[in-house]
Amino acid sequence: MTEGRGIKIIVSMIGLDSHTTGAQVVATLLRDAGFEVVYLGVNQTPEMIVKAAIDEDVDVIGISSHASNFALIEDLMDLVVEHDLTDVPVVCGGNIPPNQIEKLTAKGVAKVFPPGSSGQAIVDYLAASGRAGK
Amino acid sequence: MKYATDYGYQIKPVYGPDDVEGLEYQRDLGDPGSFPYTRGYHENGYRSRMWTRRMTVGLGSSRDANKVLKKYREMGQRGGMCVIHDRVSCSCIDADHPLARRENGVLGWPGSSFLEFEELMEDIPLTGQSITLLGCCSPSTLRLAYVVALAEKRGIDPREVHGSVMESPFGNVFGQTDVQPFDLNMKLFLDATEYVVREKIRMRAGLVGQHFQESGGNNAQLLAVELSMLKEICGRLVNERGLDFDEAMRVPYQLIDIGSRFFEEVAKVRALRRMWAKMAKEHFGAKDEKSCQLLIAVHTSGRTMTYQQPLNNVARCAIQTLAGAMVGCTALDNATLDNAYAEPSALAARMSLNTQHIVAEETGVAEVVDPLAGSYFVESLTNEVEAAAYRVLDEIDELGGLVAAIEQGRIQAMLHEEANVKFRETNNGEQLIVGVNHLAIPEEEDSFEIPVQELEASDSEAIAQRMAAWKKTRNRDSLEAAIGRLHADAGKGDGFNLMPAIIEAVKVYGTAGEIMGVIRLARGLGYDPFELIQCPFELN
Repeated sequence: MTEGRGIKIIVSMIGLDSHTTGAQVVATLLRDAGFEVVYLGVNQTPEMIVKAAIDEDVDVIGISSHASNFALIEDLMDLVVEHDLTDVPVVCGGNIPPNQIEKLTAKGVAKVFPPGSSGQAIVDYLAASGRAGK
Repeated sequence: MKYATDYGYQIKPVYGPDDVEGLEYQRDLGDPGSFPYTRGYHENGYRSRMWTRRMTVGLGSSRDANKVLKKYREMGQRGGMCVIHDRVSCSCIDADHPLARRENGVLGWPGSSFLEFEELMEDIPLTGQSITLLGCCSPSTLRLAYVVALAEKRGIDPREVHGSVMESPFGNVFGQTDVQPFDLNMKLFLDATEYVVREKIRMRAGLVGQHFQESGGNNAQLLAVELSMLKEICGRLVNERGLDFDEAMRVPYQLIDIGSRFFEEVAKVRALRRMWAKMAKEHFGAKDEKSCQLLIAVHTSGRTMTYQQPLNNVARCAIQTLAGAMVGCTALDNATLDNAYAEPSALAARMSLNTQHIVAEETGVAEVVDPLAGSYFVESLTNEVEAAAYRVLDEIDELGGLVAAIEQGRIQAMLHEEANVKFRETNNGEQLIVGVNHLAIPEEEDSFEIPVQELEASDSEAIAQRMAAWKKTRNRDSLEAAIGRLHADAGKGDGFNLMPAIIEAVKVYGTAGEIMGVIRLARGLGYDPFELIQCPFELN
């Protein structure tokens, strides 16, 4: 697959959440679709994720979340604005309830993929939105 | 349509006598209560002891979790309670740590001090029910210390308390990464386990296969990994800690995941009982029959609980609970219909507990032991999963055992591959999931709103502030003395058991971060695994 060619994306956990299976599966899916994946792994603070986004000059920030408190993602969105990175879409995936999706979207998160999302839907969305930022 | 188990065995359309031709009843099954215990450990099954019906608790403050525990008792939680740590206390850092402030009480109970345990257990008996505390290996010694300290404070002999508070270090490489190093976790796990054996405390340690399977592992791999964990842990307790095998085997229990592939799940558990009984006799030379009987608790599968049309999960939970009941478990806790959203709401918890009560009281399946025995299909599947598991077990043995296999990254690679396979199979429709990739409905039609438990960032911060303020109220002299002793003991080598010093430190309200921090220092590590805070004690 070549949909993701030329698009660089961070896949990261946030905070102390260590349920990495979803993030790893998505990282593999994206690599297989031609994306360049920067997998940050566990124990990443919002500051570390933003720094990596700048250092690696990525096109998309992808956050995998299994937690029931999404304050850290909101903190990340504040930092994205502060560092003038709003042209880099932040995309989340994981166990995120509908009302939280509303809150996160209002905070500037571009898209949330809940469990059960199809691989093709994720790839198609990221291919389109990653290019839009270029 | 694919007709195969997750470990690749092709399922036939019909089974008959030829499929169990070599089966010898006494050798391969035995009556319930007889070696090799394929059919279970009790002659009369649930008639002599009903399984423990419980739900896992943990969200918000300790007082919040205490209220939920009391509510579950009202809902008919029977035999035992089960609480899981939040990510902060799983990591053995304190609620007032800079990285904790947004995450206290998220996904679990913020149990990083004895104070939190006292609040959790307020007006809840320590005896007469099993006390199960879960969530990573690192806090195992602390959880044991909490129980011992509270028992003493209430004037109860700790030997009167039973349950499970330790967790093996392996869970943390099965899809959940721990911040504390593996060798430290292993040392502390062995300390806690050795301590309960020598002090005759009836606390068990979970060798949690559940995480392995929830992270994608297949049934045959699960059995192989489970047996490898037992081999490593029992081997170390005998060889490194000088325990008799039959004494050591009073400690482990298995927490196993049960999904919706009904007969395969039943076969898996029956095979596990038989495989362990043989390993106990043949590998470890068990003298006590009890050592051949691996205690098995069941968790119904959280990963099968779908985000879409969550009410469908009630049906999934019922099927899985039925499998767990029919296979003869010691305890069962359910995933809930809102598992893909948050921690269980009261409604979801009641549905799940009632599912257990319905299976226990209304269906009649609890009245007869191992009712599926003798089914051509079930016995074939039991043989097949056992044979496939032995093949994986041989591979792990050839790598030098489970620890060596993990050090070489082989187990992680195995899991990663399986997780990808499972994702691909649902993605391309080989495995159908109703409401997800089959009979999905438009979002706007999925209108049944379930209540969702929420935790605000301010709740997490309040837990942090309380801990920071409370820390200053502790008796500094006794705390420093206990921490000093712990630091000194921690420098005496891996074989020196730190449990007594940890219990003393817990009693004077030393916290998880402080206790683990000084142990880390004595081992040449930094006080804080994240290198953000300094040790608040002067140590010699």
